[in-house]
Amino acid sequence: MFDMVSRRGFVSLSAAAAAGLGLAGCSGNKTSEPAGSDVGSAKSSSKKKAVELQVFAANSLEKALPEVQELYAEQTGTTFADTQFKASGDLVEQMRAGAAVDVLITASKGTMDDAEAAELVDTDTREDMFVNDLVIIRAEGSDTKVEAIADVANLDGKIAIGDAKTVPAGKYANQALASVGLYTGTEGDDGEYVPEIANKVALADKVGTAAAYVSAGDCVAGFVYSSDIFRYDGIEEAFVCPEDSHKPIVYPGAVAESSEHADEAKAFIDFCLTNKKAQKIWAKYGFELSA
Amino acid sequence: MLNRFCILVACALTFTLCWVPGFAFAGDAEDGAQVAATAHGLSYGIEGFERLAKGTARAMEGQPEGYRFPVDEDVDLVVAPAADRVVVWISPKAVEKYGLDPQDNECVSGLKALVCELDSVNCMGGAQLGDVDLPWYVTAETTFDAGGYTYGFDERGADGDRYVVIASASGDAKGGARWLDSAQMVEASSVVLQDEQGPLTSLTSFLGDIDYRPFWVSIKTSGLALVIAFALGLFAAWKTMGTSSRIKGLLDSVFTIPMVLPPTVCGFLLLMLFGRSTGVGRWLIAHGISIVFTWPAAVISAVVVSFPLVYRTALGAFESLDTQMLDAARTLGWSERRIFAKLMMPLGWPSIAAGTVLAFARAMGEFGCTLFFAGNYAGITQTIPIAIYFEWMGGNTSVALFWVVVVIAFSFLVILFINMYTAHSQKYRERGLSRAERKQAKQLGGQTDSLDPVGGDALRIDREALAELMRDDTVAKGGR
Repeated sequence: MFDMVSRRGFVSLSAAAAAGLGLAGCSGNKTSEPAGSDVGSAKSSSKKKAVELQVFAANSLEKALPEVQELYAEQTGTTFADTQFKASGDLVEQMRAGAAVDVLITASKGTMDDAEAAELVDTDTREDMFVNDLVIIRAEGSDTKVEAIADVANLDGKIAIGDAKTVPAGKYANQALASVGLYTGTEGDDGEYVPEIANKVALADKVGTAAAYVSAGDCVAGFVYSSDIFRYDGIEEAFVCPEDSHKPIVYPGAVAESSEHADEAKAFIDFCLTNKKAQKIWAKYGFELSA
Repeated sequence: MLNRFCILVACALTFTLCWVPGFAFAGDAEDGAQVAATAHGLSYGIEGFERLAKGTARAMEGQPEGYRFPVDEDVDLVVAPAADRVVVWISPKAVEKYGLDPQDNECVSGLKALVCELDSVNCMGGAQLGDVDLPWYVTAETTFDAGGYTYGFDERGADGDRYVVIASASGDAKGGARWLDSAQMVEASSVVLQDEQGPLTSLTSFLGDIDYRPFWVSIKTSGLALVIAFALGLFAAWKTMGTSSRIKGLLDSVFTIPMVLPPTVCGFLLLMLFGRSTGVGRWLIAHGISIVFTWPAAVISAVVVSFPLVYRTALGAFESLDTQMLDAARTLGWSERRIFAKLMMPLGWPSIAAGTVLAFARAMGEFGCTLFFAGNYAGITQTIPIAIYFEWMGGNTSVALFWVVVVIAFSFLVILFINMYTAHSQKYRERGLSRAERKQAKQLGGQTDSLDPVGGDALRIDREALAELMRDDTVAKGGR
């Protein structure tokens, strides 16, 4: 027999349990729809006809790549799990931690070298995909004037730069700054900012964050790729860093070692590089296919 | 009190609803950049304007050599801005149809104004044609030489695809075009200008375009996490209470520490435990427990951070119970489990309920640990807080704002619920007291028992409930 008080407790308990079960049940249905949700189920999904590719791509590809993926999905029926757009270094770390990946595209040779060294990608499939420029941006319509890289030292306000530890754009930016003596190392991640700009630098966790800082007005200028201008509102090009001020900006792509759909993954990389419509999308967002 | 909250909620919603359309509209106007334009006094208009920021010089089978831009089959107008000149090509068909003269200044300046306007709309933040006044070289020839570059405006790939190709004797033809605009020319009268969308349609399309999955992911993740944390938290509190004080101190710190630690530390430790980078993680993965960057990982993160809240409030509630009462129940031969279910839970329920709501809120708001351990996979582990961060980072401020509004509204509901519940439970206590009094009067008449309501008010309520419980118990036993 239940007394009044504990009956109420029991009812609320069982209600909570029922709600929980219901949620769990509905979650089971929901998650089975995007098959990549469960790493364990990857094996069984490979038997199915429709292949789902998991792409890890440099943050700067965030706007352009989904359009190309949509095009590819239309033409081949291959679908894509939610693509991860992070700083290239973070992507490699995430793969190291055990994330399931089919295609990796990073924004620098160095990060892809790391992935290769950790045996995360298939070296034979590695290919240089895009080249990009390093630019200094300002908020749209702002009167920030930059006519040379060294001018950033005279700006009144913060400068957004990617954190060179994980963000390749930050590394290139530091190399460019080093070319005018504002950074002490030559590699881009082996030195310090000189005192003139040290307290002006706002480090960003990915190149997009640097662009967002400038767009939101938190920073007066930022070092990003020229392609970032096209994917963010509210920023514009202030200065294009000369090509000899930094190492060439190359985006290598490769099929992941752990991929269960290596052939499909390779086919997607090839499609990105050869399809005319895809080429148009890259061009629109400022990515030049590497020569 | 409740009314004030309702008003606040209403105010917040109205405010945000007025705000969101503005944002959405601003976003849409930019996206739906004009692709067509007319100008007064011109016999033609421009349609299908496309701006390619970069070409490619990559050697590819079936594509012409040189620095090239893929263009549509039927373009009539190509604009290639170099560093010191702008090279413009108009198709001979268009020249004839609209009576254009490439050498005529007036004709060129009309075209220039129109193209500059469209280029500016489509520049997406890049350099603009109108920024610097450069000389315009207009031609109708399919190949044109200028500044050391050879422009081929109608080059074909192996499968007939059309390209604009720039070649240079030096090999590097990139300088021939900093970007490339292309468009079709049509009769001025037939240009369809894009309608400006009304605020209502743009709001509808804005709401229609939003990916609502983060909401469901959040709800189901925190819901399941809450059920687990609730069960574990109560169990842990119950068991901790019964242990000796030294072990209790240890257990207490272990169970509470996730609340004190930064969530990223929890995330890091979980990643180390289950990830491929440690021996333990590799062993677990080898034995089929591979949960890093999956939905279970998101649930585990939420459980880890919300568990201490249930645990602490439950422990607090249990410890504040009258131990005499529990002992009294024991003397009556009640099992520990029965004491827990029938005494401790009902009496501690108001605190436990409040703690549960807090735990749910904490699970909903979980960010650091989830991001670390479960990553950001849309529709799988991307909860609302993670969506807000990444939408903002991705430049979708209006979507981020939408989620912020949802979270604020949701939080208001939670607070409202807590207040209503508190009010309700206090009412219940009063009502319960009077009912117990009535019952007592009815059943026992003038009879009194050893648990006569003495002492403070709070104590009296507990004793009433206990008296009722024990009465039921004796009735049940007597009936058998």
